[in-house]
Amino acid sequence: MKFRCERDALVEQLGTASRAVSSRGGALPVLTGIHLAARDDLLTITGTDLEITVRASVSVAVTEPGEAVLPSRIAVDIVRSLDSGAVEVEVSGEEAKIVGGRSQFSVRTLPVDDFPVLADPSGDEVTVATADLAAGLKQVVRAASSDDARPILTGVLMSAEDGGLRLVATDSYRLAVRDLPDATVLSEGQKVLVPSRALDELSRVLGESEEVRVRLGEREVTFNVSVKDGEVQVTTRLIEGEFPNYRQLIPSSYPNQLTIGREPLLEAVRRVKLMARDTTPLRLTQKSDCVELMAVTQDVGQAHEEVDAQYDGDELTVAFNPDYLIQGLEAALGDEVVLETLDALKPAVLRSSQGGDFLYLLMPVRVS
Amino acid sequence: MRLVIAKCTVDYSGRLDAHLSEAVRLIMVKADGCVAVHADGGAYKPLNWMNAPNHIREYEEDGELRWTVTNEKKEQLTIKLHEILSDFTEEMGLDPGLQKDGVEAHLQELLAANVEKISAGMVLVRREYPTDIGPVDLLCRDVAGIAVAVEIKRRGEIDGVEQLTRYLEYLNRDGNLRPVSGIFAAQEIKPQARVLAEDRGIRCLIIDYDALRGIESNELKLF
Repeated sequence: MKFRCERDALVEQLGTASRAVSSRGGALPVLTGIHLAARDDLLTITGTDLEITVRASVSVAVTEPGEAVLPSRIAVDIVRSLDSGAVEVEVSGEEAKIVGGRSQFSVRTLPVDDFPVLADPSGDEVTVATADLAAGLKQVVRAASSDDARPILTGVLMSAEDGGLRLVATDSYRLAVRDLPDATVLSEGQKVLVPSRALDELSRVLGESEEVRVRLGEREVTFNVSVKDGEVQVTTRLIEGEFPNYRQLIPSSYPNQLTIGREPLLEAVRRVKLMARDTTPLRLTQKSDCVELMAVTQDVGQAHEEVDAQYDGDELTVAFNPDYLIQGLEAALGDEVVLETLDALKPAVLRSSQGGDFLYLLMPVRVS
Repeated sequence: MRLVIAKCTVDYSGRLDAHLSEAVRLIMVKADGCVAVHADGGAYKPLNWMNAPNHIREYEEDGELRWTVTNEKKEQLTIKLHEILSDFTEEMGLDPGLQKDGVEAHLQELLAANVEKISAGMVLVRREYPTDIGPVDLLCRDVAGIAVAVEIKRRGEIDGVEQLTRYLEYLNRDGNLRPVSGIFAAQEIKPQARVLAEDRGIRCLIIDYDALRGIESNELKLF
């Protein structure tokens, strides 16, 4: 295999595909490598940990078609370290030569026959507007759990809702719901659970392209995105299992409603959080014309701030994990948000005062 | 257990020769014959030691007390006790051994007592079901009466899947049990292990250790 291409394009696509590469190969050491296939003036770069596969393609000048597996980290580091300009990669036997400018590296390759043969995506292709999907993923994915002990919560539920697409994620402390009314990806009643890590990778490559092509197979889903230097395909296995019934947690009405400017509250929470060390919660005392924020960390100090607000309900103090509150406020849409509470121990809802398609359910923290 | 604090010199001869010059040290003689010489520092590692079985001889030479500790390999520790500051002996009895919280044995015990948590209608046939290649953690029957072998690990990695695969292959040779399906149960399962298990038709099960023990978190949760 021998090809020549621009360093900047190669480093971008290598970096993208390498994010799916397994850090430890385990039973399959070749999974620590990145697969390169050069033919028809196209280089296809594939990284996988068998759960998520990222395939990035880039135009190159192929002198000799072929394929090889290079140790991922070192290959990325080498190409990244080169100056902009032409890079030439030549693989012969068990050695790959990477040449850029006056630098020359030779790297031992991994056995190409050991690299798993990855099936082509199945299912019908549908398209989704990138802007909608990117915004939805940004709002929802961060609410998914990273704890493998409950694998279902590490996924984002994608379900058909009123002809559109609903994204839901929870780590059991908060839950984010975003409706994309114009995205028709699933047929009515259909729902799938997609690993949040894969959607996180997808979010990184959703940039300037206008649309994302989605193919939903029986056990996996594939997203294709056109990027500046070529094409990126993210394929992930679907998570099997039943997502918790979140609908029952969202009451139809709340007795206490705090309407407040999103940015002033966000800034105040960030400031007061400075005194909320480790797991210290942030207390919100809701009053008729303002909300008092307070954080106290034993032996360190305390912070207190008032923010103007409109409050309809009984005076109530409720405490939250400040990070979760910040993430909810960052994800909420509009200049003004509404925080709806039942009492100090029941889930609160954060949403835009104009309604909209985003809802953030947040569990309070018990305080004495 | 005998604990002697003494000003002593110690000489070891065996795989090499080593000498500890005169200083105050703790000499520990355990009931099984292990001898360890400790300085007043360091966490657990003695300056010198001899594992049991040992032969310990106490005698006087040149007006000084001496111990020689000799093992089967003819290695020898010679301790010259110049001044004994303390000599204390206590009968400690049998030790119940170290019990680690959350180790596989406890998980196995808890899951065996709660097999319905694995699957509704599941019944336990036997814990540590014996086979010629080792005991299977749990052998159960599911609601349809199908035999199910359960391998329990704290951390589910590929080795555990391979182990269960071997058991399943062996158990499926038994006409009285066949067909035997497998469940790989662990507090956490590595993605590669999950992929391998599922590829082999083995179900993965995450064990919530606290829930099995009936411990409820004080944290407020949505689910």
